[in-house]
Amino acid sequence: MKKLLSNSYLLFFFRILLGFLFIYAGAEKISDPAGFSTSISNYKLLPIYTVNFFAITMPWIEIVAGILLVFGIAVKENAFIINVMLIVFIVAISISLARGLSIDCGCFGKGNQIGIQKLIENTLMFFAGVLLILYDSKILALKVNHSE
Amino acid sequence: MLKQYVQTNQKVFQLILKSAKFGLNVFNMSVNYIKIIAIIIVSSTIGFIYNALNPKGIPLIKEERILVFEEEQAEITDPDLNNTPVTEKNAIEEQIIAPSEVNIIKEEIPDAVREFTKPVAIRLSRAYQLYNQGVIFIDSRSKEEYADGHIKGAINIPFYESEKYEDILNKIDKNEIIITYCSGKDCDTSILHGDELFEKGYKRIYIFHGGWDDWLEAGYPVDSKH
Repeated sequence: MKKLLSNSYLLFFFRILLGFLFIYAGAEKISDPAGFSTSISNYKLLPIYTVNFFAITMPWIEIVAGILLVFGIAVKENAFIINVMLIVFIVAISISLARGLSIDCGCFGKGNQIGIQKLIENTLMFFAGVLLILYDSKILALKVNHSE
Repeated sequence: MLKQYVQTNQKVFQLILKSAKFGLNVFNMSVNYIKIIAIIIVSSTIGFIYNALNPKGIPLIKEERILVFEEEQAEITDPDLNNTPVTEKNAIEEQIIAPSEVNIIKEEIPDAVREFTKPVAIRLSRAYQLYNQGVIFIDSRSKEEYADGHIKGAINIPFYESEKYEDILNKIDKNEIIITYCSGKDCDTSILHGDELFEKGYKRIYIFHGGWDDWLEAGYPVDSKH
């Protein structure tokens, strides 16, 4: 099982998939900052004055982490960042579902309602992220000079 | 009995230990925290710079979307409404420009249907009153929810795929009174949809706070499968 999960091609596939998903998600949010800000506030989890802070920064963290993943730079670190975000998303969606809110997910721009499907998607992405953190992925990675 | 308990618990303990070790491994997995912090700081900075330069950028501190109810709005705007006709300047200017037109407009539009500055929220009783006047109801919920039951005569334009329903929307005159609603008080699609329609140029949007739940509870006319 461990051999299969640490297969370098599988890890490479996960890395590219996760990278592009986050680039896409980030780009969709950047194209409509006001919409994303509304999406966050609809979760009613954050104090209203902090909402825009996240609406401004989060899409860019997603994009940068996604790009770095695709290029294979600091894979473990970026997978870690993405996983932390995924945990936040999973918790936020779960709470909202438990409260019975029927709101826009804000995951990939407008047009996604929160639901079990989103939870499953995020959980799968989370597991892909865990594998990347554990085993790294060095195929087709851009080499950066490390001083350490 | 006790032995059994200990034995079964031992397995659980072992499992917990194993997963704790795994967890520790995960936290020990040579992730460079400095890199993580650097990536976050750099991308956040890009975000702030981009937002400052972006014409569609948002303010750093969000203003709350407060639903203004009709009753409250009337209190706020009424003094203004009373004041404007009194100012002599306005009255004179209007008369000079086009006295006949001004008179016609004043006669035709009663106070209640003045132009909105943004969608106005209403509650059940007002929604029912408008329903009896034959205004348009737009159901912002999904196709399935609509099919299960909806306010009698309401048009279904699911907010999440409103692009697909442009044809239906285009048949509605921009001056019509439109009421949007969704499942109840805890849904936001009626508000988002109302704002979206308002931006598209529909000038008289009411948001029915309470939506389908309140309507059904009150026993007002519905179209329903059951």
